Amino acid sequence: MEEISHIPQITLNLLGFNLVFNIETIVMTWIVMGILITFGFLATRKIAFVPNPFQVVGELLVSSFYDLTKDALGEDMVKKYFPLICSLFMFLLLSDWLGIIPMLSEPTKDLNTPLSLGIMGFCIAHYSGIKVKGIKQYVKGYCEPIIFMAPLNLIGELAKVISISFRLFGNIMGGAIIILVVSHLVYSLILPPLLVFFFGLFVGTIQAFVFTMLTLVYISLQVK
Amino acid sequence: MLNTATYISASSFLGAALAIGFGAIGAAVGEGYAAGLANQALSFRPEKSGDVLKNMLVGQAIAESAAIFALVVAILLLFSTPQPKTVLIAWAAIGAGLSMGLSAIGSGVGAGLPAGSACVGIVRQPQNANKVLTTMLIGSAVCQTPAIFGMVIAFLLLFLDFSNMPVYPGWAALLGAGLATGLAAGGPGVGNGLTSREAVTGVARNPETGTETNRVMLIGLSVGQSTAIYGFLISLLLVFTGLEKSTSLSDSFRLLGAGLSSGFGGIGPGVGLGVVAAYACKWVARRPEATGILTRTMLVGMAVTESTSIYALIVALLLVIVF
Amino acid sequence: MNIAGPDFIKGLAFLGAGIAMGLGAIGPGVGEGFAAGKACEAIGRKPEEAGLLTRTMLVGQAVSESTGIYSLVVALLLLFVV
Repeated sequence: MEEISHIPQITLNLLGFNLVFNIETIVMTWIVMGILITFGFLATRKIAFVPNPFQVVGELLVSSFYDLTKDALGEDMVKKYFPLICSLFMFLLLSDWLGIIPMLSEPTKDLNTPLSLGIMGFCIAHYSGIKVKGIKQYVKGYCEPIIFMAPLNLIGELAKVISISFRLFGNIMGGAIIILVVSHLVYSLILPPLLVFFFGLFVGTIQAFVFTMLTLVYISLQVK
Repeated sequence: MLNTATYISASSFLGAALAIGFGAIGAAVGEGYAAGLANQALSFRPEKSGDVLKNMLVGQAIAESAAIFALVVAILLLFSTPQPKTVLIAWAAIGAGLSMGLSAIGSGVGAGLPAGSACVGIVRQPQNANKVLTTMLIGSAVCQTPAIFGMVIAFLLLFLDFSNMPVYPGWAALLGAGLATGLAAGGPGVGNGLTSREAVTGVARNPETGTETNRVMLIGLSVGQSTAIYGFLISLLLVFTGLEKSTSLSDSFRLLGAGLSSGFGGIGPGVGLGVVAAYACKWVARRPEATGILTRTMLVGMAVTESTSIYALIVALLLVIVF
Repeated sequence: MNIAGPDFIKGLAFLGAGIAMGLGAIGPGVGEGFAAGKACEAIGRKPEEAGLLTRTMLVGQAVSESTGIYSLVVALLLLFVV
C-alpha cells in the first residue's frame, strides 16, 4: 500500500526559493478544466429550441443554481455571483467524479486544491463585504456584540476556511483510502465497485454541493 | 517467572471479561427500554397483549444479538489456546475484547429504541401492525452493523498470525485497532437507533407514507454509519500495514493515538448524524410532499455534521501513514 | 524499552494529538447534528422557507464547529511543531 504516501512531485529552484509542483494534481486539474471547456462549447454551440443533450444538462445546472443564488443573495446581486457559484459546483463535481475512471485520480484528494478554493471564497466574500458595506461598517461587524469579541470573531472567520477545505479534502481522501484498503484485502469484483459508486458518486456529489452552498452562504453573510 | 504462555492466557481472560462486560451494557439498556414501552402500550389497550408481546420479544431478540456476538467472542477468548509464538497474541486478545465489547454498547441500545416505539405504534393503530413490524425489523437489523464491524475486527485479531509483526510498535497497533473500531461503533449504533425509532413512530402514525419514510430512513441509516466505517478503516490499516521494528516510545504511541483519535472522534458525530436523520424521518412521515427538500436538507446537514469525524480521520491517517 | 527524553516528549505529543482530536470531535458532532435535525423539523413545518432555513442551519453549524476546529489546530500543532 505504498501508493498512499507516495506523491509525485518536481521541485524547481527559482531565485533561491524551492517551488514544489504536484504533477498529478496539476494534470488532473487540467483534465477537469478541459472536460468543462469542451462541455461548455458543446452546450452552447448550437442553441436551439429543441435542445441537444449537452444543452439540456447545461440548462438544468444553470437554472437550478440561478434559483439557489437568488434565494441567498436577492434579485440585485444574483447576476454578479451566480457564474462563480455555478462554475465552482461544476468544477468540484467533476473533480470528485474523476477518480471513478481508472488511472485518473481526484484533484480534490490533494489538500492544495480545496484549500486554494476555500481561500478564494474567503477573499471574494470579504472583498464584496467591504465593497457593499464600506470599510467602517465592515470593521464594526467584527466588534459585535462587544469590542472584546473581536479576536474571537477573527479566529471564527479563519476557522471557516479551514473547516470548508478540510471537510472536502478529508471526505475525498478518506474515500480513496477506503477503496484502496478494501481492494487490497479482497480481490472481489463486487465490493470495490460498490464502494467506488458510494464514495465517488454519492459522497462526491454531496460534498461538492456542500462546498458550493457554504461559499454562497459565507458571501451572503458578508453582503447582507 | 512469567513466560509468554502465561501472559497470553492471562490477557485472554482479561479480554473475555472486557468483551462480555461492556457488551452486556447496551443490550440490557435497549431491552429494558423496549419492555418499558411495551408495558406503557399495554396500559392503553390491554386486549392487544398478544401482538405487543410478540413484537416486544422479536425486537428484544434483535437487540440481544449484540450481546450474543460479545458472548461468542468471550467464549472464544476463554477456550482457545493459541500457540505461544509471540507475546503480541496477548495484546491482540485485549484488543479483540475491547473492540467487541465497546462496539456492542451502541448497537444494543440502538436496536432497543425502535422495538419500544413499535410496541406503542401497534397499540395506537393495530390494523397497521405488519407495516410497523417491517420498519422495525429493518431499522434494528441495520443498528447491528456497527457491532458486526467490531466482531470482524475481533475475529481478525483472534485468528490472524502475528508472528512476523515486531513486538514493539506492534502492541500499540493491535490495541489501537481494537479501540478504534470499538469506540467509533458506539455513536452510530445509538444514532441509528434514534433514526429508526422516529421512522417506526412515523410509519405507525401515517402508514400511507410508509414507502417514503422507509426510503429516507435507509438513506439516513447508511450515511449515519460512516463514522463507524472510518474507525473500521483505521483498524484495518493498523492491523495490515507493515510495521518496522523500533523500540522508541513515539512509534508505539503514534499508533495508539491514531486508534484513540478515530475511535473517540466517531462517537459524537455518529449520534449527531442519527439525530438529523431522525427529525427528517419524522417529518417525511407527516408531510410526504416535502420529501425531496427534506432529503436534500438532511444530506447537507449530515455532510456538515460529519466534518469533525473527518478531522479525526485526517489526524489518524497522518499518524499512521505519514509519521 | 529504553526511553530517551525527546522520544518521550514526541510520543506523548502523538498520543495527545490523537486524544485532543478524538475527544474534541464529540461535542461538535452532537451539537451540529441537533442543529441540522431541528432545521429538518422546521422545513417539515414550512417547506416554502427552505432556503432561509438551510442558510441559518449552515451558519449555526459553522459556528458550533469552531471548537472542533480548535481541536484540529491543536492536534496539528502537536504533530508538526512539538
